[in-house]
Amino acid sequence: MSILSMHNVSKSFGKTEIIRGVNLDIQAGERHAIIGPNGAGKSTLFHLISGKYQLSSGRITFRDQEIQNRPPYEIARLGLARSFQVTNIFPRLSVFENVRCGMLWQQGLGYSFRHLLGRQTELNARAMHLLAEINLAERADFPAGELAYAQQRALELGVAIASGADLIMLDEPVAGMSLSEAEAAVSLIRKITEGKTLVMVEHDMNIVFDIADRISVLVYGEIIASDSPQAIRANPKVQEAYLGEVAMTGVGGNNA
Amino acid sequence: MGKFAAWAGYLVVLLGLPQLFDSVLAITIFNQMAIAIVFALSYNMLLGQGGMLSFGHAVYFGLGGFMAVHALVMIEFETVYFSITLIPLVGGLIGLIAAVFVGSFSTHKAGTVFAMISLGIGELMAASSLIFVSFFGGEAGVSADRTFGPPFFGIEFFQDVEIYYLSAGWVFVATAFMYLFTQTPAGRMANAVRDNPERAEFIGYSARRVRFISFCTSGFFAGVAGGLFALNYEFITEENLNAVTSGRVLLMAYIGGLGYFIGPIIGAVVLTLMNSLLSNYTELWMLYLGMMFVLTVLFLPRGFAGFIMMHQTAWLRGKLSSLFLPYLITGMPAIIFGGSILAAIEMLHHEGEPFGFLFINLDSGNTLHWLALTAFAAASYYACRRSLGQLNAAWEEANRVGDPTEGGPG
Repeated sequence: MSILSMHNVSKSFGKTEIIRGVNLDIQAGERHAIIGPNGAGKSTLFHLISGKYQLSSGRITFRDQEIQNRPPYEIARLGLARSFQVTNIFPRLSVFENVRCGMLWQQGLGYSFRHLLGRQTELNARAMHLLAEINLAERADFPAGELAYAQQRALELGVAIASGADLIMLDEPVAGMSLSEAEAAVSLIRKITEGKTLVMVEHDMNIVFDIADRISVLVYGEIIASDSPQAIRANPKVQEAYLGEVAMTGVGGNNA
Repeated sequence: MGKFAAWAGYLVVLLGLPQLFDSVLAITIFNQMAIAIVFALSYNMLLGQGGMLSFGHAVYFGLGGFMAVHALVMIEFETVYFSITLIPLVGGLIGLIAAVFVGSFSTHKAGTVFAMISLGIGELMAASSLIFVSFFGGEAGVSADRTFGPPFFGIEFFQDVEIYYLSAGWVFVATAFMYLFTQTPAGRMANAVRDNPERAEFIGYSARRVRFISFCTSGFFAGVAGGLFALNYEFITEENLNAVTSGRVLLMAYIGGLGYFIGPIIGAVVLTLMNSLLSNYTELWMLYLGMMFVLTVLFLPRGFAGFIMMHQTAWLRGKLSSLFLPYLITGMPAIIFGGSILAAIEMLHHEGEPFGFLFINLDSGNTLHWLALTAFAAASYYACRRSLGQLNAAWEEANRVGDPTEGGPG
């Protein structure tokens, strides 16, 4: 059963067509990676799904509801959460406040000014629990902007999953991390997306082939293949368009 | 427990001030402080907590104040019948209504767009106040008499000190509600939207709606402050909703410290004192206020409250007292230097006539005075610069991380 579907999704900036008629179904419960060379439109596709950009044409459905061109906050409320390629947290709020803010809407607190957050014992406990899961419990009272880079990336994940959304979209979650930090991040991603649907954009091929159940290849705004990791690796079109150049470096070991 | 003590202390200070200082001047100043505290706190809801820089916050203060004066007139002519203790609520409701209207289009974006709209609305209201004379009373303003309403437990508010106690009650309640607002989802999301409006949208919140709620709440409390103004002065003019008043509340909140809830309270107290006391001694107090603002922006970007909070670490380590002497060593020449500069400014101002400055008489025509001042300034500046090293060292020592008595960093 597909949880997210794109039908002929297109996006142009002026005369430049960045996304050209993408059709893609994300199955509920799968871990789906979108790969492609720089400038292929991966992040743009994420922005279209999550409501940051308006579509030029096409339809996107999430759980059989059309979500294209709706504001980001409405899409988020439906249970679609995302992280950002460039860390996008609340720098002056504490680490704890960051994840708690991520939980507020789903908790039904909305724009309330009648509830005192200090009294929300269960919510506060859940926020602390999530901080423990992303290994930031000891930093709970720190301003988020003062965390180290890898910790900020972990918090970025934490804010994204805080709402308990069923569909989680991660935009290059391990970009800029050292090898050991990336390994820790990958196991964290596995743990926190357990039982959920994951869509992610990632450049590191080892991580993609490690995590993904299915991979879609986006080249110049078009999906040229969408299949299991093995089939993607064997696909001559993909090798020609994309993997060929990376095979030397990124997936050399896996490919041999 | 600590919080309870702080609030109890706040209430005791508010109610105890007139017992300590009961001169007419003191009560006048306390009344001004009460108004300024509520107004500055409401401004901080916008700028400090919501990230909205407003150049027109006096609009809500002024409209609330005008309506409050009209309500007093209505009470006087028995058009309506209620206790004048509720007048600040009238001001608040008018501030709220105005903020709902303006906020519906101005909170779409923060930053420059919001700032420019606030400036425009401020100018528009200032112009309107001279056009719609029946409501705003033109340049003379409107006036009323607060003593006609039904007595409040026998009090008829003939005296300023009675109004002060009424204001103190309102200040306490308004402060408490504004503090509680920061602890609600709406208040906390205001901080989140200030930090990063984009991300707020992706966790389910419309940044515009969050700003709108803060804006309206802030407008309400500005109106309450306007109502307190009306009660205290019994008249109000165009000046109370124009850019001068908007600028002054910005200064109060900024000098006090935007990042802290208590900051605007400090700013309101300091600026009211400067306004009332300094203006007795020098015509140049506005200049000094401007200088203080620039110095605060440059050297204390987090305001007086931020300066106080800087000492938290040292205090927790029990090393605050070790800073006393170093502060004195650097502070004394700094004060002398500042004093010499002020004396020079005053001498330029009082050209050709002798005048009293602190404990001495100065005369700009006397070359010896100029030479002495220059010598004082140069020597104290040199001493201040030379002593900065010991202050820095003492500061490092008091704040050093990894003290054995401490559990860990932070």
